[in-house]
Amino acid sequence: MVESRLELRAVSKTYRNGGQPVEVLHEVSLAAAAGTVTALLGRSGCGKTTLLNLAGAMDFPTSGEVLIDGRATASLSEPELTALRRNRVGFVFQFFQLLPTLTVLENVELPLLLSGTRNSLDTARDRLRWVGLEEKSAAMPYQLSGGQMQRAAIARALVNSPDLLIADEPTGNLDTASGDQVLALIHEAASRFGATVLIATHSAEAAAIAGTRIMLRDGRVQSIERR
Amino acid sequence: MKLLRTLILRPLRRDPLRTALTILSVALGVAVVVAIDLAGDAATGSFRSSMETLGGKTDLRILANGGIDEHWIAALAALPFNARWSPVVEGQAAISGVGSVPLYGVDLAGASGIIVPDGLARRLGLTDKSALPVTVAGRAQEFHVGKIIDSAAEFIALDIADAQQALGRFGKLDRIDVTVGPAENFAAVEDAIRRTLPSSYLMQKPGARNEENQRMLRAFRWNLRVLSYISLVVGAFLIYNTISISVVRRRAEIGILRAIGAARSTILALFLAEALLFGIAGAALGVVLGRALAGATVGLIADTVNALYTTSRPTPVALTSAEAWLGIFTGAAVALFSALAPAREAMQVAPTEAMSRGAHEHRARLRWRRGLVWSAGFAVVAAAASQAEQISGYPIGGYAAALFSIAAAAMAAPAVVIAVNRGTRAVARRRVESLLAARSLTASLSRTAVVVAALATAIAMMASVGIMVGSFRETVALWLDTQLRADLYVRSAGPAATAEVHPPLASEVPPILAAVAGVAAVDVFHGLEFHYRGERATLGAGNLEVVRRYGRLRFLPGQNRDAILRSLPGQDRAIVSEPFANKHNVHAGDRLTIPIGERNVNLTIAGIYFEYSSSQGYVIVDNSTLLKYLPNQPATNAAVYLERGADAARIQREIQLRTAAYGVTVAPNATLRRGAIAIFDRTFAITWALEAVAIVVAMLGAANSLLALVLDRRRELGLLRYLGASARQVSRMILTEAAFLGAMALLLGLALGFALSLVLVFVVNKQSFGWTIQFHPPLGLLAGAFLLVWCVTVVAGLYPARVAARLNPIDVIHEE
Repeated sequence: MVESRLELRAVSKTYRNGGQPVEVLHEVSLAAAAGTVTALLGRSGCGKTTLLNLAGAMDFPTSGEVLIDGRATASLSEPELTALRRNRVGFVFQFFQLLPTLTVLENVELPLLLSGTRNSLDTARDRLRWVGLEEKSAAMPYQLSGGQMQRAAIARALVNSPDLLIADEPTGNLDTASGDQVLALIHEAASRFGATVLIATHSAEAAAIAGTRIMLRDGRVQSIERR
Repeated sequence: MKLLRTLILRPLRRDPLRTALTILSVALGVAVVVAIDLAGDAATGSFRSSMETLGGKTDLRILANGGIDEHWIAALAALPFNARWSPVVEGQAAISGVGSVPLYGVDLAGASGIIVPDGLARRLGLTDKSALPVTVAGRAQEFHVGKIIDSAAEFIALDIADAQQALGRFGKLDRIDVTVGPAENFAAVEDAIRRTLPSSYLMQKPGARNEENQRMLRAFRWNLRVLSYISLVVGAFLIYNTISISVVRRRAEIGILRAIGAARSTILALFLAEALLFGIAGAALGVVLGRALAGATVGLIADTVNALYTTSRPTPVALTSAEAWLGIFTGAAVALFSALAPAREAMQVAPTEAMSRGAHEHRARLRWRRGLVWSAGFAVVAAAASQAEQISGYPIGGYAAALFSIAAAAMAAPAVVIAVNRGTRAVARRRVESLLAARSLTASLSRTAVVVAALATAIAMMASVGIMVGSFRETVALWLDTQLRADLYVRSAGPAATAEVHPPLASEVPPILAAVAGVAAVDVFHGLEFHYRGERATLGAGNLEVVRRYGRLRFLPGQNRDAILRSLPGQDRAIVSEPFANKHNVHAGDRLTIPIGERNVNLTIAGIYFEYSSSQGYVIVDNSTLLKYLPNQPATNAAVYLERGADAARIQREIQLRTAAYGVTVAPNATLRRGAIAIFDRTFAITWALEAVAIVVAMLGAANSLLALVLDRRRELGLLRYLGASARQVSRMILTEAAFLGAMALLLGLALGFALSLVLVFVVNKQSFGWTIQFHPPLGLLAGAFLLVWCVTVVAGLYPARVAARLNPIDVIHEE
């Protein structure tokens, strides 16, 4: 049996809205092994982003457990969580979220700088080369197209060679050609770097690269489809 | 109105801390202006002599330096007019436990006993016929209370003959107060008096003395007032900053409003209304604060006025409704003016524009070169303005130069931010926090530049005033070295020295001083008040041969001290102080007509010497010249030079022993110097207080702006947490931004401060007070102050850093 790198066990998440509890996720369970791509599908507001935040240890379940390599994220101290986000998790967002004040290369290098890694510049260049943006190293984010920005964001997410890549609607803001490029990179992240990829999407093309497709509806797992 | 509520008021309510900081900045700026104005009025509000309480209404006052011969009373009484001629002599009486109070000799028709106000009587436990031991003109005397009157002032009054005897001023009057009958033609009476009395006598109408005092204090009060505007200028930058931030944050909303039909004028009005709200709220609070601050400030200003200008009794601080409204109007006007540029920018947002802040800031970054060109232009105008002559006694050119220098620095601020960013690029890259901080400040160039300009202005003011005061202090210290060469100084034990009071020294004292073993020479000095071209000044006379031999009086370059001082004894020649020469535009070789006693004497100016104790100025003649025209004029003080190796302490004791009966104080050289420096430091204490407020306002601005940067960039800060930044790293990043801001402001502030100090030292001071200050920047003090300011700027970043570190990354990253 392949050991799960990421595992959610009966995870529920409840927020308070105007004093009233709102359950966003209800007893969701899933497991993802290294080098696999899992797609989360469902309408807006079905709980995809909440699930990604729980998986990336940015948030914690109200009940149930999120385990990364067998350790529950809720049991980690603040420094351990910071270390986890720095070294083992990479995020890709729908709106790219590049820092407008840094060059493309510096954006990619940023996670390494935050963790104080040596030779950060070489690694960042290497990742930029991989996403095909080496010649844009010195450019500012506003000088890039949407597809280029998302490729830069993928390079940034993978600069630490993370175990877990979390992508929230990575193609939601891109044209088809750019979206295809981005999806190819995400797929390669799993196959080449061995990352466990969790991707939330509306797009059929994005879902197509996933080995596992989980359909969410009103915070509950409606179906799980494995290829 | 609804738009104002939703677009402006609601966001203000959402950021209560920032709103409060902006209002507080305006409040402090207005408070300082109101406080200085009210305290200045209160400190200089009452020059009314307590004699006016006693004597009632007077139409005309006759004065003469050296006193009026009393035989003129008879001549005036013989004039065919219905008028009352009231002779007055004035002196000081030292009362044990009270200090010195004015002593008035008035015509009490021979009534015995003294008149004492009830307040003083209560203080001393006096009743009718009580004995009151006093020291008058250096002699212990005893008076008996004849009448206790209702008055808040502190003085004693006695019949004129008794006063003349007590003061040893037989046959002399200090002035004659004239009250003209209601049926008389005033002009005719005035004319007749003028024809009867010597032309050197001065006739003053009631209130003239007060006007003269106010005129004399004009430069002092103006400079204080201008200094008080610094905080308001800093506050103006902050209003500009707040409205700019408001516009930048709401560009999208403005675009939508314009798209759905809002007129440009509506947008302009909205943002001006926001500024007006800040202005009115801040100014209203400022008026209240200012009223409170004035109470604390009035003593400081009164001390300076008394030490350097004239005797004044502070009146209670009074805030009239007109002054309160003026304060509110000033705050509102400054706020509106400061908001004009950003509000205009808001007005020009196109309906279709959905420009992101990044692109807007990018455009600002491209404009820094244009700012630099403007800066150079303003600097040239400032340099030209500094060369202008004074206008009606006001250094208008100097003030304009200061204002244009500030404008030049403000326009250069974006370039400084970019230059510091480029200059520190290599260093900044070593730590991720400093890399992000530096980039973020440059990315928000338009607002960073405003904060840097505001902080730099406050720092520059601190630096320039620090350099000016430091230079002035050093100049005075050096001057004291040359001026105060005697070993001991002797004066009548009267009131603490004020600029215009010259209590006489008993005539027996100078010979006693000269007879003490070990004394090499005694310079006996006479000081008298006189008027020249309507301005008050001091006529002094000393033994200039002694000054030549023992003193080190410094003259303007090119003037031979020895030759000048040798040329004075026995001649109608004088030396004048630099402020006197500058104020009246006179030069060596010119002739002055000075009233001395009953004569108008033509004196030739032999030289101009450096002097820093009075901006009104001195005209100094040799004793032989003065006594030729005023034979019995008593000396006011004496400088004693000792033989080489003489024991100063022993001689001081011996002089004190021998002159015990004449009520004198003997001060060694060092004590006098310490006293002079203490007066100097007290004079400038208020300057430092004003600067501290300006710095506090700037700090509030820095905290406010950093908080705005944090709130504005919360998505980026949240992203950093996603990318693995710890809360501490985020916090450190904001503190580093504060440190960068402080460093940039220090850099710009130092340059601006240096320029302003040149304007203050060589233009404003020279034109206001007439003295030449040598340039001596107090480097140690400035370095310490800069370090403090920098540290406080970093401290100002603590709260924004805390807010940044506590942001919930999930909330802010998905906020859009």
